[in-house]
Amino acid sequence: MAYEGPIQELIDELARLPGIGPKSAQRLAFWLVKAPPDEAKRLAEAIVRAKERIAFCRECGNVAEGDRCRICRDASRDPTQLCVVEEPTDAATLERAGLIKGRYHVLGGAISPLDGVGPEDLRVQELLDRVERDGVREVIVATNPNLEGNATAMYVAALLKPLGVRVTRLASGLPVGGDLEYADEVTLSQALEGRREM
Amino acid sequence: MRLAWVELRDLRNHRHTVLEDLPDGLLVFVGPNGEGKTNLLEGIFVLYAVGTPRAATAEPLVRRGCERAYARGEVASAQGRALIEVEIPRRGAARMRVNRSPVRRRRDLRRHVRAVLASPADLGIVVGDPARRRGFLDEAVVALQPAADTLSSAYDRVLRQRNRLLKEHEGGGAPVGLEAWNEQLVVAGTALTRARAAAVAEVGPAASEAFERITGSALQVRYASNVPTDGDLEEGFRARLAERRDDEIARRTTLVGPHRDDLDLGVRELRARGFASHGESWGAALCLRLGLAAAIERAIGEAPLVLVDDPYSGLDPERRVRLGEDLRARADRAQVVVTVADEGHVGEASAVWEIRAGEARRRGAA
Repeated sequence: MAYEGPIQELIDELARLPGIGPKSAQRLAFWLVKAPPDEAKRLAEAIVRAKERIAFCRECGNVAEGDRCRICRDASRDPTQLCVVEEPTDAATLERAGLIKGRYHVLGGAISPLDGVGPEDLRVQELLDRVERDGVREVIVATNPNLEGNATAMYVAALLKPLGVRVTRLASGLPVGGDLEYADEVTLSQALEGRREM
Repeated sequence: MRLAWVELRDLRNHRHTVLEDLPDGLLVFVGPNGEGKTNLLEGIFVLYAVGTPRAATAEPLVRRGCERAYARGEVASAQGRALIEVEIPRRGAARMRVNRSPVRRRRDLRRHVRAVLASPADLGIVVGDPARRRGFLDEAVVALQPAADTLSSAYDRVLRQRNRLLKEHEGGGAPVGLEAWNEQLVVAGTALTRARAAAVAEVGPAASEAFERITGSALQVRYASNVPTDGDLEEGFRARLAERRDDEIARRTTLVGPHRDDLDLGVRELRARGFASHGESWGAALCLRLGLAAAIERAIGEAPLVLVDDPYSGLDPERRVRLGEDLRARADRAQVVVTVADEGHVGEASAVWEIRAGEARRRGAA
């Protein structure tokens, strides 16, 4: 059902967000309307501030406050190791684990002709420039382990190898703490392929 | 493997049909056309397929005016007894339960139940276009190895990506990124080709044996893979892609890969499609299904449920007799369920149900 004036406008705006359907939009809109005034104001200001202040790092393409992100500014990070990811959220996930000693490079997606995304839509040239300029020795390709992520990884690797840089790909296999019984065929076969000497 | 009982609710024209105390051996559904024999057989098959081979979506399975169809049944196998429940909504994903626990994937269900359905629509495998035979190949792959059910859709996804890349490419040379998609095509394509080749190696000889027994003639079944299967499959695939590269760019579509496979079927040394008679074609289609059942039996050590819809109509009297003998011999090892329209074809059965207007009545029961 359609509501009157501003509430319907709010519902419509919220419903345009990714992952939000009409029902969720309605629930959020009513929650905001009923909430104390400063609650809604804080949210609105946070959105505006984010839009104004947050830019994308000119080095790695990650979200940043200013023209370079915190990680690219951090002199203690190994400049010779780059971890290539699809989205800023992927970089954040890896960063939470604290395993990458080097820096990130965010491509901004994966190659997918069906979605009209080609290599020219991704930050691939920036990656190549960076590798040459910064004397990068290893590139860890951490695109998603699905079809599009694999194709992207392969495309990027083919361009990087002639530059004499070591290119590695995150391994695919069994989840730690998981049960062998519940692993699917594809995961099992990849795990078997990547088995290690004990 | 045997079905102890089955219950259908709002499935096609069956409002509520229960078949209890199913015996071993040959079970027969008899009744005039359009009363629901095929629907009942299909309802049993839902316990394995969670869908219908008769339509692209499961929606036609839901009885008119109803929101969802149900099939439940208990299967006894070497694994023990399992209560299988399948719920098919008009729209959205089907829900499956095994022993009252929900299962997410069809392959989880298929650890407990295996079934093969042969129906007159299978004639298309023999006389139809190659897509029908590729469809049969992939059904056979999954029937023999339920965990391989992602191979065909994974390949299809790469193919669609690569075709789009070729289609939208303007200007000279190859589209940027083609090499990366080639490699994905080779990975997904060789996995599918290997699985299809293995399935034909199992099903083909068994189908030929059945055909020989029933018709007295020879049936050749050969996998006509689009990529060379002698030598290293990956290398052969890559070489073929390199050969056809310019053609693919000019024609803007993928010309190499298992989406162009076929299954060559020959009767008496002639290509079945176009040369075989109607009876021979139907016999070949039926024997491919019976061959698949035999292959499953070899693979898992017990015979699957064999469901055969209206097998006798297309055959001459002598072949009917031989087919009847073949089905009864199979019924010694597993349940075989057959539908017939003609009372004269019921033969010696363990149990017979008369099907009228979506209801089943067991013959001889009070």
